[in-house]
Amino acid sequence: MSIDKLSGLRVLCVEDDPDIRAIAELALGDVGGFDVKLCASGAEALSVVDDFQPELVLLDVMMPGMDGPETLRALRAYESLQSTPVIFMTARLQPDEIKEYLALGAIDVIPKPFDPMTLGEQIGGILDRHSGTTGYR
Amino acid sequence: MSVNDVQASLVALRSKFSGRAREEILFLSRQAEKMSEGKLTGAELSEAYHVLHRLAGSAGTFGLPDLGEAARVLEKSLKPHVERLAATGVADDAIAPVEPLFLRGIEGLFGLVTDQPASVPDSQNKTVEGVDDDSHGTQVRILVCHQSADVRLSLVQGLARYGFQCLEVSLTSPDLAGVIAESSRVASVFVVGEQQLEGVASECRSQNVGGRQLPVLCLAGHDSFEKRYWAAEAGAEGFFSEPLDFPRLADSIERLVSERRYRLSGRVLIVEDDSDLAEHYRLVLESSGVEVRLVSDTRHLMQDLAEFQPDIVLMDVNLAGRSGITLARLIRFEPRWLSLPIIYLSSEDDPESQLVAMSEGADEFLSKPITDDYLVRSVLHRCHRARQLSELMNRDSLTGLLKHALVKQQVHKELASCRRLGYRSCVAMVDLDHFKQVNDTWGHGCGDRVIKALANLLKNRLRETDVIGRYGGEEFVVVLPGCDVGQAQSVIEGIGRSFSELLFFGNDEDSFSVTLSAGIAALNDFSDGDVALEAADQALYQRKSAGRNGVSVYTVPE
Repeated sequence: MSIDKLSGLRVLCVEDDPDIRAIAELALGDVGGFDVKLCASGAEALSVVDDFQPELVLLDVMMPGMDGPETLRALRAYESLQSTPVIFMTARLQPDEIKEYLALGAIDVIPKPFDPMTLGEQIGGILDRHSGTTGYR
Repeated sequence: MSVNDVQASLVALRSKFSGRAREEILFLSRQAEKMSEGKLTGAELSEAYHVLHRLAGSAGTFGLPDLGEAARVLEKSLKPHVERLAATGVADDAIAPVEPLFLRGIEGLFGLVTDQPASVPDSQNKTVEGVDDDSHGTQVRILVCHQSADVRLSLVQGLARYGFQCLEVSLTSPDLAGVIAESSRVASVFVVGEQQLEGVASECRSQNVGGRQLPVLCLAGHDSFEKRYWAAEAGAEGFFSEPLDFPRLADSIERLVSERRYRLSGRVLIVEDDSDLAEHYRLVLESSGVEVRLVSDTRHLMQDLAEFQPDIVLMDVNLAGRSGITLARLIRFEPRWLSLPIIYLSSEDDPESQLVAMSEGADEFLSKPITDDYLVRSVLHRCHRARQLSELMNRDSLTGLLKHALVKQQVHKELASCRRLGYRSCVAMVDLDHFKQVNDTWGHGCGDRVIKALANLLKNRLRETDVIGRYGGEEFVVVLPGCDVGQAQSVIEGIGRSFSELLFFGNDEDSFSVTLSAGIAALNDFSDGDVALEAADQALYQRKSAGRNGVSVYTVPE
């Protein structure tokens, strides 16, 4: 799946740090070509999903209030979001943690820091692998 | 938004982030001072921890990877305290021993924030013949600085064939120092024309903070002893002249990069029954980038060894109820740990008694009490040596790739894993075409350069998770986890194409190129690694009979 084919994909990005939100908007929207919606908290995410109907959700793990895993559980309660792919983003990558997140139903985990110029491609690669092929392009 | 607009936005976001990072570091340094005065509350401790965590996760995104890494190390050093705090609800005073290092570490963060962080290369240069950061973890970036545009272009193109990515540095920049400071965060090696050598090398030296000086390779117009001496005096770590010998240049770069990678790390297993002291060693070592595991129950020592695979063991001699000397002997029961360095920690300072203890299976003594600085330096030094030795034993000396027996072991391991977990993996056997002719025509030294070039290309083009070994003379084995045969075939074909484009120089004038053939087998089709290797070899043989220069896939007979 090339990045072009993903152009316009509706991506919901949930991240509490405003600086990271700003650079994620640039990385996903301007560089990646996705249709991006940014939310500052899990609660805000829940309030926009009905209107936005995301096709992919990026979740920061460590957030005040509802953290990433809690947000994921809450999102899954929506019928329309039960099979929407979810990717976690985290600065602490322990193998156990990755397993835990995958067990929660995330399709992958992106380590922080991410490179804003390649984040879109990275997501394309993950969606590729998720749909049955590998990381080589 | 155009590429330039994106770059402009990036720069703006980065400068905003640098401002915030400075404020946060200021906050952290105030907390660190409080800590040294013993006034840090539990809430402040966990806030400092969160700030470090956020910096660790975000600084790299804003072009300050070193800041992120440094914050991560400091975050890790606070982690046990924060966890204890969460478990007990009270901050304990065990923070005291780390405080000088911690404070110094926080102060060091200031130097890592710059207003104009390293420019990220634009995406056009980024994808060089399918090489890409995300699937191959080892992308190496090289700074190129040369007065001639032709030479720059030939460097960029020539090195791209080996999977290196070049960033051009302009000399006309009014702020050369700033440019070097920024670029050295993203690059590993500097290739510099002779006219720029002195300026660049002295700038790199003056910016050498924390031992991370960027190595400089000199590119001179002609070769002579005087020129070489001059380059060495200026501080160059390598010397090349025109016409450029790309295989040798690529090899030098590869060596410098791998040396830089080694320097920082080490894995230490600590056997010490005084838990406060053990915890202290751990914090001190971890804040210097050493990975540490503490053995809390000596009955699990062998399990800890197998899981953690340390470079060295620090062993207290007088443990409660057990003797470190006896434990060292017990470790040596297992042949795989015969070469593992074991270092005794002991208050024994009589050389005679030390010698007796050492004859029982340990390698060296560190006498208690040990200063933090001495501990860090001696551990890093010993880890480095231990790694060098194990590299020597496990890696092929010419190519740095795994030796025959070890790559075979990896094939067995991957086969077991992919069959168990149900994903597809492949093994490929790669062989140089008509290699005997190369040796016969141009000599063995030249043949060695060809072999090294292929080894370096494989290292650069494959993912970090792939396994590469030198199987025999001109034969290589590659294990590709998570790939079906189609994907493996296209990856190896791509590498074959790039390799055939490399030009080798037999002597001053004559150049030649070499092609490769490969055979691929799907590991999942076999129950035994040797049989899978045999199948890949058969496919290779098939390819050789069908005219070489290409990749064949083994088909399982119906």
